[in-house]
Amino acid sequence: MTVDDWLAALSAELRRRQVDPSGPVGEAAAHLRDSGQSPLSVFGPPAAYALAVVDSLRGATRELRRLPSGEPRLRATKITKRYGRSTVLNGVNLSVHAGEVVAMIGANGCGKSTMLRICAGLTSPDSGHVQMRGTVGFCPQTGGTAEFLTPDEHFMLVGAGRGATRTAARAEGRTAAAALDWPGAAGDAEARHLSGGTRQKLNLVLSQLGDPDVLLLDEPYQGFDNGTYLDFWQQVWHWRDAGKAIVVVTHLLNELDRVDTVLDLTPRSPR
Amino acid sequence: MDRRTQWLRGVLDLCVLGALARGESYGYEIAQRLEAGGLGAIAGGTLYPALLRLERLGLVSIDWRAGSGGPARKYYRLSDEGAATLRSAGADWAVFVGNVNAIMEVP
Repeated sequence: MTVDDWLAALSAELRRRQVDPSGPVGEAAAHLRDSGQSPLSVFGPPAAYALAVVDSLRGATRELRRLPSGEPRLRATKITKRYGRSTVLNGVNLSVHAGEVVAMIGANGCGKSTMLRICAGLTSPDSGHVQMRGTVGFCPQTGGTAEFLTPDEHFMLVGAGRGATRTAARAEGRTAAAALDWPGAAGDAEARHLSGGTRQKLNLVLSQLGDPDVLLLDEPYQGFDNGTYLDFWQQVWHWRDAGKAIVVVTHLLNELDRVDTVLDLTPRSPR
Repeated sequence: MDRRTQWLRGVLDLCVLGALARGESYGYEIAQRLEAGGLGAIAGGTLYPALLRLERLGLVSIDWRAGSGGPARKYYRLSDEGAATLRSAGADWAVFVGNVNAIMEVP
């Protein structure tokens, strides 16, 4: 990779993340000229360096992690859920404030998705209760899309449920899709013809239509390529800065030092 | 990650402030000052994000200047707040190092 190629790639990556590339690119160019070293050895891959730059500019880093200062949006108290003899959730508490990101982690089958569905009001707990203040967007791990509808039709259908006109819902959906590096959302492919990763993008876009106060996301990035995965987390920090309360179910531990709170549902004792 | 890199991670921002306490400078020269100070080669991918953070926090002020026969350079200067941070955090660090040395000393 030549210096010019690398700088062009960095510029594109920064622009894709709505950052003016002139400053960071100019500075990197001066450094490479002064040092005569290869860009990959000095700065690493353009996408990774762009992310480091964006983080530094926006402060989505560990040392600037804030205590939740917003009002409580979601409070789940002593949630218990059994399936047959198996107790999946046993007295789980969760509270999420405006401007807070909570990561929900735990081994397979420990009830992460069940807990999220209970918070969303889609599954009833056996005991305990959920208080919600504001509107909710939910992104399921699978399903959630209709095979024979195009992305635009999804946007209009879900938008209608949230009181948006067809034109407004379509525009909002397409804008959100573009932020996930999915310009093809404007096409007329039905959902059944979309790849798994693209269908997850559709789900994620649908969850955010109508600008809900609380976002419940169940491993929404499965099947995303790396660039989109990075965009996903940028979107999460953006939502946090906008005062959303966010719960992300995840099994990827490398993002945990960037969230505000971690709820581990792995049972403490054998059951 | 090797141990030195991990140590540096915790104090790189203070080292950069220290380098700038010796006079305003631009990225590549700051890297050279740090290397000359015995910290080893600092990758640009580490240095510039740290500089951006210091800028955002108001600990350094910046100034773009046309270079002689080259592209413009971004110069960094220690702000008053940066100087104050360097003094107080530098003092904390000295105490910390003293304590670490004392506890690692074989009795």
